[in-house]
Amino acid sequence: MSASFFRLGWRQMDVQLRTRVLNLWTMALFFIQPAIFSIVGMILSHAAGNTSPDLVYTVIGGGIMGMWSGLVFTSTYDIRTDRREGTLELIVGSPTSLRRVEGFRTLLNILAGLSSMAFAVLAAVLIFGYDFSGVNVTGIVISMLFILFALWCMGLFLANLLAWSRLSGTFVDLLEMPMALLCGFMYPISILPPWLQKVSAVFPIRWGLEGLRESMLSATFTPHLFSRWLLALGISLAFLLLARWLDGKVHDHIRITGELHSI
Amino acid sequence: MTNPAIKVENLSKTFLTREGFWKRKTKKINAVDDLSLQVEQGELYGLLGPNGAGKTTTVKMLATLLLPTSGSVRIFDLDAVKDTTEIRRRIGFAFGGNRGLYGRLSARDNLRYFAELYALPPEVTRRRIPELLEMMGLSGRENDRVETYSSGMTQRLHLARALLHDPQLVFLDEPTVGIDPVGARELRQMIKDLIKRGKTILLTTHYMAEADELCDHIAIIDHGRIKAEGTPSRLKTLVKKESIIQAKVEQKNLPALKNIVTPLESRFPVNYVNENPFVLINITTPEPAPILDELLPLLSQHVLDSLEVRNQTLEDVYVAIIQDKAA
Repeated sequence: MSASFFRLGWRQMDVQLRTRVLNLWTMALFFIQPAIFSIVGMILSHAAGNTSPDLVYTVIGGGIMGMWSGLVFTSTYDIRTDRREGTLELIVGSPTSLRRVEGFRTLLNILAGLSSMAFAVLAAVLIFGYDFSGVNVTGIVISMLFILFALWCMGLFLANLLAWSRLSGTFVDLLEMPMALLCGFMYPISILPPWLQKVSAVFPIRWGLEGLRESMLSATFTPHLFSRWLLALGISLAFLLLARWLDGKVHDHIRITGELHSI
Repeated sequence: MTNPAIKVENLSKTFLTREGFWKRKTKKINAVDDLSLQVEQGELYGLLGPNGAGKTTTVKMLATLLLPTSGSVRIFDLDAVKDTTEIRRRIGFAFGGNRGLYGRLSARDNLRYFAELYALPPEVTRRRIPELLEMMGLSGRENDRVETYSSGMTQRLHLARALLHDPQLVFLDEPTVGIDPVGARELRQMIKDLIKRGKTILLTTHYMAEADELCDHIAIIDHGRIKAEGTPSRLKTLVKKESIIQAKVEQKNLPALKNIVTPLESRFPVNYVNENPFVLINITTPEPAPILDELLPLLSQHVLDSLEVRNQTLEDVYVAIIQDKAA
């Protein structure tokens, strides 16, 4: 990779941070929404008489919810805003591919989304006195990396869908909550009907999350944990390939329909 | 013999739109229809036409932002459909209006970002940005957010962005739209300077005087087709060689002119424009001399307030061509 690749990455993330992430709306998305999810989850858990801390499905679930919402809204909002502000055609009309620009943007959105998780964990420790002893730290770190990669691949795929047509924004908005329900952000997948569990299997976040939860509940590495990581990685790569395939199609499609801009 | 900067042959672009709610029908819109043109290197070529004539669609196809439905576009002998990346390195484009920049960023940051999209080496970026900001008269405001800029400043920044990678060919789509006369004049001077530096420019505009002043060649397009093409002076020969006599008279003195003007009405187009307390009488004629001989004494007698004669302008030509009245 050339130096210009990294310079573009740095500049793109700088622009992204200042134009999209550092504003009240996005901050609310990253911090307030996951906090609400986490706190409501913790209160319900206490009200249900759970004496052991429900760290996995409330704190982590809330954090992941923030990361996912942040990704859906920022990555897709970027394309919509670029289209509205006339900058999408400037990006497409430059020698740099839209895929590369979206790659860096999505990466920053995900890294910014990590603050949701940090905020949720902080709230759990400071407000509810949750204890993180006895967890598999290495497993947690590896699982988080797989989750980040899964989110990045899905973000690229969704950004391409958004670039395809002005109308696809509505469809992507509709994905936000169903994805949280399907991937079991705040409850075990096992409570879903079997057919819905099969549907959720196509989303790599589910497998990354299962790995993360297993690492939080057990300090050992098990074959079951490795299988979750493998599934998360494999399905993420499938999304990446899909995004890559869609990228070429999108580039031609938007130049046929003239949907590079909207007024 | 150098390759032409732009060579367009039989270019067409059809958009599909849908209408109706329950019974949806697909409708075809021919935005550009069998258009051919050639722009030589170092030339300033103007595309004139009314709203919806297909100017912007044509420019976007040339700038690789739209795919043609049929026909061919070659930019410096490269295919605009297949060689998009190479063409994009060699062209710059700026569309009019306030869109197309990041309003929350400063001019300098906008330029830095687009410099990375064009993969400019850091030393070139460091040299080009101050150079362009100076050239566009934006030095001193380069660190202000673009959303605080006036239309003229925004337009100059668009031009700076388009020139960042020193392209050989620049597309300017209505660059002076919404700019005050002083700003528009400055921008026209910048466009002239670019031509002196050897750039090729394709300009679309609504302003005839601007096209007349700047362009080496002009194509007038309507409904996606070229209606007339040539140098501004050649285009002016396409309509009948006529002069326009404009007499300004106070309303109370109008009866004194009746004997002269009324007989002319059956021979030439004569129109009256009421500008209380004056009336402007416009007489379009191929032979102004005999009419002037009759009117000039009225000027010295102070019956007429003023008397002017002017030749056909490019605007007259444009209107005649668009209304199919060209000779």
